[in-house]
Amino acid sequence: MFRNYVKVAIRSLLKHKLYSSINVFGLALGMACSLLIGLWVRDELSYNRFLPDAESIHYIRVNFPVNGETVTNSITPGPLQEAIAKDVPEVAAVTKINYGPDYLIKVGEKKGKEKGHYATDDFFGVFDLPAIAGNPKAALRQTNQIIVTRKIAEKFFPSGQALGKTLQLDNKKFYVVGAVLENLPTNSTLQFDWLVNWKEQEQDWMKTWGNNSFYTYVRLKPSTTVTQTEAAMADIYPRFAGKNFETGRPILQPVTDLHLYSDYKNGVSVGGRIEYVRVFSIVALFILLIACVNFMNLATARSANRAKEVGVRKVVGALRSSLVGQFLSESILTSLLAAVLALALVWYVLPTFNTLFTKQLSLNLADPALWLIIAVLVLITGFLSGSYPALFLSSLQPIKILKGRLQFGAGPALFRRVLVVFQFSLSIFLIVGMLAVGKQMNYLRTKNLGLDRENVVYVPLEGEIAQPQKVEAFRHEVMRKPSVASATTTMSLPVNIQASSGDLTWPGKDPNLQTSVSCMFVGGDFTNTMNIKLLEGRDFRVDSPADSTNYLINEAAAKLMSEATPGMKNPVGKEVKFWPGKGRVIGLMKDFHINSLHEPIKPLILCFDYRNTSYLLVKTRAGQTQQAIADLEQLSKEFNPNYPFNYHFLDEEYESLYRSEQQVNTLVNYFGVLAILISCLGLFGLAMFTAEQRTKEIGVRKVLGASIPNIVGLLSKDFLKLVLVAVVLASPLAWWALNTWLGTFAYQTELTWWIFGLAGALSVVIAFLTVSYQSIKAAMVNPMKSLRSE
Amino acid sequence: MIQTVNLQKLFSTEEVETTALNGINMDVKDGEFVAIMGPSGCGKSTLLNILGLLDNPSEGEYNFYGTAVARMTERQRAQLRKGSIGFVFQSFNLIDELTVYENVELPLLYLKTPADERKKRVEEALERMSIMHRRNHFPQQLSGGQQQRTAIARAVVAKPKLILADEPTGNLDSKNGEDVMKLLGELNDEGTTIIMVTHSPYDAGFAHRIVNLFDGKVVTENFHV
Repeated sequence: MFRNYVKVAIRSLLKHKLYSSINVFGLALGMACSLLIGLWVRDELSYNRFLPDAESIHYIRVNFPVNGETVTNSITPGPLQEAIAKDVPEVAAVTKINYGPDYLIKVGEKKGKEKGHYATDDFFGVFDLPAIAGNPKAALRQTNQIIVTRKIAEKFFPSGQALGKTLQLDNKKFYVVGAVLENLPTNSTLQFDWLVNWKEQEQDWMKTWGNNSFYTYVRLKPSTTVTQTEAAMADIYPRFAGKNFETGRPILQPVTDLHLYSDYKNGVSVGGRIEYVRVFSIVALFILLIACVNFMNLATARSANRAKEVGVRKVVGALRSSLVGQFLSESILTSLLAAVLALALVWYVLPTFNTLFTKQLSLNLADPALWLIIAVLVLITGFLSGSYPALFLSSLQPIKILKGRLQFGAGPALFRRVLVVFQFSLSIFLIVGMLAVGKQMNYLRTKNLGLDRENVVYVPLEGEIAQPQKVEAFRHEVMRKPSVASATTTMSLPVNIQASSGDLTWPGKDPNLQTSVSCMFVGGDFTNTMNIKLLEGRDFRVDSPADSTNYLINEAAAKLMSEATPGMKNPVGKEVKFWPGKGRVIGLMKDFHINSLHEPIKPLILCFDYRNTSYLLVKTRAGQTQQAIADLEQLSKEFNPNYPFNYHFLDEEYESLYRSEQQVNTLVNYFGVLAILISCLGLFGLAMFTAEQRTKEIGVRKVLGASIPNIVGLLSKDFLKLVLVAVVLASPLAWWALNTWLGTFAYQTELTWWIFGLAGALSVVIAFLTVSYQSIKAAMVNPMKSLRSE
Repeated sequence: MIQTVNLQKLFSTEEVETTALNGINMDVKDGEFVAIMGPSGCGKSTLLNILGLLDNPSEGEYNFYGTAVARMTERQRAQLRKGSIGFVFQSFNLIDELTVYENVELPLLYLKTPADERKKRVEEALERMSIMHRRNHFPQQLSGGQQQRTAIARAVVAKPKLILADEPTGNLDSKNGEDVMKLLGELNDEGTTIIMVTHSPYDAGFAHRIVNLFDGKVVTENFHV
């Protein structure tokens, strides 16, 4: 019997090629989107799960009460790791690593910059990463050994074994390769290619509780819970950290959550990238639903053609259940065909998708999970799209069909209308999303940050030019170039200042007041180079030795001090105390954005140290950026011959703060267009069906004098009404969803009415164009033909 | 045996109520060939549909080979119909997507007849209707006569006790019509009970008995010998 169903299904598909193509192609597009998003979601959810015993590994953050709220620090002070190791028996192993610089690795003439970490002895007690050669645990304990990944081993020692060979790090010390690790997969938050013992870079400031700069990880003992461990850690800060920091409370986050749940509010995880994973899972479902709606719609529209078959089958003995089975197997067959096409589509677009989203997703046909996903997708799509037609068709009464007395009631037509409205509502929702996300991205791109980011080139300071005595000389030479307007040095990039401290005190400060102030070391000419407005006072001066304990603050910091202590109403000239020591506030800067626009502008204090900095920021003269880069390269070769010249643009760094948003923007654009395309495909099929059904009516109207525009209007009007209903339904929903999304930014564009107007107008125009092809075609037919055929 | 007692059928819409059958009492014996005649709208097809278990009467009793069926559900009727009644329609009603062979095979598939047996019986039926040479053709590739012969093959393939024919020659020319009637006659000679609705006095001449309907009532019955 099943063979009979398949035969009929295939012959019916072949007989109605256009309808079948619309169905199969629409479903294939929908499935391809879902499959792509499914692969992406699976990858996002798989982060860090490759780690042996991943469930017991946790990342440490620290909660601090600040101004009545809880602030969560994602980076931790150096001594925390030692305190946990000593004092928390629930923890099997604890390690800390630094931020992971790109250092020059040299083997003979071969050199290249590679990312790595300095890590404490028990790193492999926490992360039991598999070694290809050597004993990584033992190697990390030695200060003269380095652990590298397969990538480095193959790159620098192509002729054979890397183990036991020597390489030079950062143009300074030579290390012996003590172990080789397998490369880390892309779905790992931990990314490095070399590891060296922590002590090799440890400095005194790293041993203080006030400096949050490192990443701490623990592995819990079996049968120990997070709650137990957090309770055991609760007294670490009060006991060890000193009076200023005694309120700190370490909290644990499973490493398997690290990638997706990075946002903390008031001390608890409130999500993060998981929001995008959710949004795109919903988008995938939307698109699949839209494609399924096409199938349902065309199937019910064409049910008159299938009715006779239903009648005959019933008369010769088919039960209703066997007919339901037949139509469901047909729709499953169609979705199977669509799945094959979808796989081909995904295979074709995957490389582009990977480039756009910096992923390494692949269609591994040997992976049973992939086939399981496809099977589920085929079954769900088949059932979803075939259920209504199956139930509807199988309910038809044989006598009525076979005697030609079958009148389709209003039910199926109403159902079709509801589906079209549903489909277009989803499409309009996505179009509004497309426009609004685009508008916010444009806002982010063009927003005045309060500092210049255009025409600012930055060069990482490393090697010779990172030497304290040479930094200033190098900057001085750079400034002498006519292509350069100004140059400064900084510890971090001013568009994304991560470091913060609770160290700031001022005369009259309530000793119980906890504060958190962003901070950065800068060299000379900072405000001038970045074009930051000085509201009062002056910038740091290289020729003023006293400036090493003087400070610049922003308006937010001034406000913090003046609100807390009336005597600090105008802090400029007042004495404050911060890490480097007691000194004066010598200048007040107008607020500028120091982080992404997700965050409000925080209080900022700048300290002056032109010797220990990480970046040289160069403001080029208008139109002379290329020349300035050439000049920088030439100077860099002179000052720093051992290092390859390296430069970046500050606005690129700024844009990279919104990588997730840009990906969302791209995804929404692609999927929005696809959604409307699939909807239109369905509308095209329905319009064709309607035109066929109304051939006689059109003929009569034309004979009676209707013009072509009259007929086109008549046929298009009904569809346009449905699209308009969809606009009305989708707009408030889209408004709510996008407002929620925009709420994640501290600074955002407005959702103006024209976004909804434009989305509505676009969908109406697109729908009209889709329908009008069929309408015009029907209207152009010679009425004699259609009437004669009656 | 088939027997109806005071069979009534009402069709009602929101505004009108039409009486299609109004107290039909009728017996059909095994092996009988009965023709039902009457003007359009007299209730012939309605009666045939009820006799064929495609529809239920509004009132009255219907005894189908010893089973009271008048109050059966659609599902129960479908079970009973399967294999015991063959239908032949004016407009053939073949499935366009299936070949001649597959159309004829269909009732046996629903009866879950084993494949070997199915093949034997379909081929027998096709031979019998002289359309074996067209077995792999689709309905639209056949003449009207061939289509109706296929439909008859489909009606007899499950060896039903009863064949119901609704104007079986209505869409055929006289030559093909004659052939179809002869086939029905032969089937009847072999013992199959046949009830046929027709407008044609000639076709009715093949039957043992003619039942004339008018306004949903049996008005006369004529017997041929």
